[in-house]
Amino acid sequence: MNARSASVTIVFLALVALHFTLRPILDWRAGIDFMVVALLVLAVRVRPGTAAAAGFAMGVVSDVMTPEALGAGALALTIVGFGASRLKSAFFADNFGVNAVFVFVGKCAADVIFLLAEQRLHGSALLAQLLVWTPVAAALTSLVGLAVLSLVRPTLERRRR
Amino acid sequence: MVLSLILLVLPPAPRDTVAGLVRGNLVGPLAMMQQRASLARRSFLTNDSIAQLSDSILQRSQQLDELTAENDRLRDLLGLGRALRWGFIPAEALVGRGMGDDFTFVLSAGERAGVEPFSAVVAADGLVGMVTQVDPTTSIAITWPHPDFRVSATSEAGDAFGIVSAHQGEGAERYLLELHGVPYRATLDSGTAIVSSGLGGVFPRGVLIGSVVSEIGESTGWSRSYLVRPAVRPTDVTQVMILLPERNAEGVESVWRATTEAMAQRVQEAGDSLYQAARDSAARVAAREQFVRDSLLRDSLSRAIRDSIARAAAARIPRARPEPRVTTPPAVRDTTPTPDSTPVPRTKTSASSAGVTVPGSATVPDPGTSADSAPPRETPFPASQLGPQ
Repeated sequence: MNARSASVTIVFLALVALHFTLRPILDWRAGIDFMVVALLVLAVRVRPGTAAAAGFAMGVVSDVMTPEALGAGALALTIVGFGASRLKSAFFADNFGVNAVFVFVGKCAADVIFLLAEQRLHGSALLAQLLVWTPVAAALTSLVGLAVLSLVRPTLERRRR
Repeated sequence: MVLSLILLVLPPAPRDTVAGLVRGNLVGPLAMMQQRASLARRSFLTNDSIAQLSDSILQRSQQLDELTAENDRLRDLLGLGRALRWGFIPAEALVGRGMGDDFTFVLSAGERAGVEPFSAVVAADGLVGMVTQVDPTTSIAITWPHPDFRVSATSEAGDAFGIVSAHQGEGAERYLLELHGVPYRATLDSGTAIVSSGLGGVFPRGVLIGSVVSEIGESTGWSRSYLVRPAVRPTDVTQVMILLPERNAEGVESVWRATTEAMAQRVQEAGDSLYQAARDSAARVAAREQFVRDSLLRDSLSRAIRDSIARAAAARIPRARPEPRVTTPPAVRDTTPTPDSTPVPRTKTSASSAGVTVPGSATVPDPGTSADSAPPRETPFPASQLGPQ
């Protein structure tokens, strides 16, 4: 494992840890999804298959906390990881706006897939979740993703050189 | 993706099993972190309410002693009310809010409640004072330390009469009473209860005033004066009873007498129970000693009979071998022959270690050590030749 991989691993693990510590403390209805940010940070630096496997593992880890939705989160993060890895050329470009939009889209996609696969919400509740709370959560997640990128990108770029 | 779909379509039971396995092994640390984060959030959110709760508990605990004392006072007053039955007005005494005098207080009942001037004010412990002014809703009373307070009093037995007034002493003695004008021939012992005599029409007969402390001098050679410890401390009075004039005429002699008799009865019962317990204990000890003495006597008698029968049988039957010589130490009863029929006289020390020494008698072997726990000894003769024992 080279230094760049080690840095990516550290950032990834730190974001996963934040997902299980800071997120329960905040306990917002539109919570910040650190798992999506961690998956996107990892996905643009590995192959699509590896990103999909990482997404599956992360989804299973988040699903076992709510066993009734086991598999839904795994499916959502698998698809998001695979897609982000395939679109790595556009993702995490130098433009912060593009990065923000991509995190936003990734979070929205993960939520849509999760909610549809979970089949827990129906009708107006599903629409309210998809049209109100998912965009808010995606916006917060994209802001956090930008903050994380601004903090760790210099380190990752220096390692890359 | 296929694995995800498989997980999605799993039935509930296997799905829970898989989730439990992953949660218990791989995700355990993450689950613990999430749980602690949730606890931290809950602690943060409930911190303010817990602080308020602890403050309120602290405040209530500080009021607890005061409430307990007030509860006791109210219980006493309730008991007094039951004893009086009728002819009284309950009121609250507002000490320190009177007319600027330390020896007056305001009562929460007035003319509308039926209070009249010169009505007696009593508490559960005894006499408090007298109503002097009556307003529509409140009234003002003087307590017994007031310089103008007087009450005709007598001893509880009724053999000495006098006038009780405040003792004009200094310091703590200011809160004592004096009993004046007691006939010279009437002597009162320390501790004698002093009650109101009913003379004068203000205070009914029988209200407890206090108890005699000591004699304070012979005023003119024909009367005595006594220092009296009051039954009621005005500073402790918060709830009182105002006696109506018609109740004064009836008298309240039985009220405080019943209290005094009940106290005396309780003291006597406590003494009786202690005496009974001591007597039972002594009887039990005597019975136990008698039982030990009887059992020792029975054991020694049976052993002596058995030994004498064995000796008599041995004297009648010819011996095939020399007769074992049995020597009996003077203070040892156990003369059972040893298995080889060799006479082994026991020393007193060894016998005493296995037996019980009864005062005035010989040392008796303890059956638990010499007969029961020891291995069975071989007797020199068959049991059929020994005869009935």
